[in-house]
Amino acid sequence: MALRKPAALGDTQVMASTIDLATLSLELASLEASARRGAARTLGAVPEAVPLLCDRLAVESALSVRSAIVTSLIRLKSERVVEGLLPFLRSEDTGLRNAVIEALQEMPSEVEPFVAELLADADSDVRIFAVNIVSLLPHPSTPLWLTQVVAEDEHVNVCAAAVEGLAEIGTEHAIPALEALPGRFPDVPFIAFAVSAVIRRIRGL
Amino acid sequence: MSAEQKQILVVEDGATMRMFYRDVLSRAGFVVEEAANGFEGLERALLGRFDMLIVDINMPKMDGYELLSRLRNEPALRAIPMVAISTEAGDQDAARAYDAGANLYLVKPADPVALVQTARLLTGAAA
Repeated sequence: MALRKPAALGDTQVMASTIDLATLSLELASLEASARRGAARTLGAVPEAVPLLCDRLAVESALSVRSAIVTSLIRLKSERVVEGLLPFLRSEDTGLRNAVIEALQEMPSEVEPFVAELLADADSDVRIFAVNIVSLLPHPSTPLWLTQVVAEDEHVNVCAAAVEGLAEIGTEHAIPALEALPGRFPDVPFIAFAVSAVIRRIRGL
Repeated sequence: MSAEQKQILVVEDGATMRMFYRDVLSRAGFVVEEAANGFEGLERALLGRFDMLIVDINMPKMDGYELLSRLRNEPALRAIPMVAISTEAGDQDAARAYDAGANLYLVKPADPVALVQTARLLTGAAA
């Protein structure tokens, strides 16, 4: 299938007027990392290539190719990209997971529709990663999301991650939820310590 | 710093968590230095003379597993006790940290008493 390259994307590296998705799909599976890397970069100009790039990301072992794929997905940012990346939050590969977290932080508007679902995930590790994403998301609702986590989440490490996020961007609105948190986890000294530090910072003490 | 004070490097991306470790360990008589990510941790470990390292596993850029592996590949750092700390409590997570070079794997949130006991045990510091 030949696709006309979207002019608005303006990829200076690819001068051809058309991109052959079938050929690039084969190159993305090449034994040569340089060919896979090149294909990944080129596909960063093709919105239809999102599933292809996500499928390759799942099996790609070369860090340079993985990085090219993630960069292309950031260029293509859309809710479809977010949907394709979210399953990697369950990956055991911390490097891949971190790359995905950093990529998702680059697309705040696209991530927003998924935040509530992510923060309610049954897996506390996924909720921690969700908090990590949200904490650095340049989005006006970020303090509210983190405050809700502090007020409602039942897992101490999810709450701890949210407190850590509020240390950077928390406002007066977060203080009631923060003040209540040590009472919910009275046996965890870190929570009392962190809450005290964050409230002092919010109040400018 | 007295000659007997043991030095600990904490590598942790969470600023509040770093403050907590510093507070707990300093009160117990340790000298604590901090690094906010794996790259900074590697650099500080190579330049300093530490008696123990505490390494968070989930860090951006360079995660704790990679940092532990790199540290263990440095001849000057091979004998330093290293404690991995993570939110993940699975056996496979601990096994991976041990494979990467950790001497001990602790699950967050670390209990301050256990942290100090661990630091004393691994550094040989007097109670």
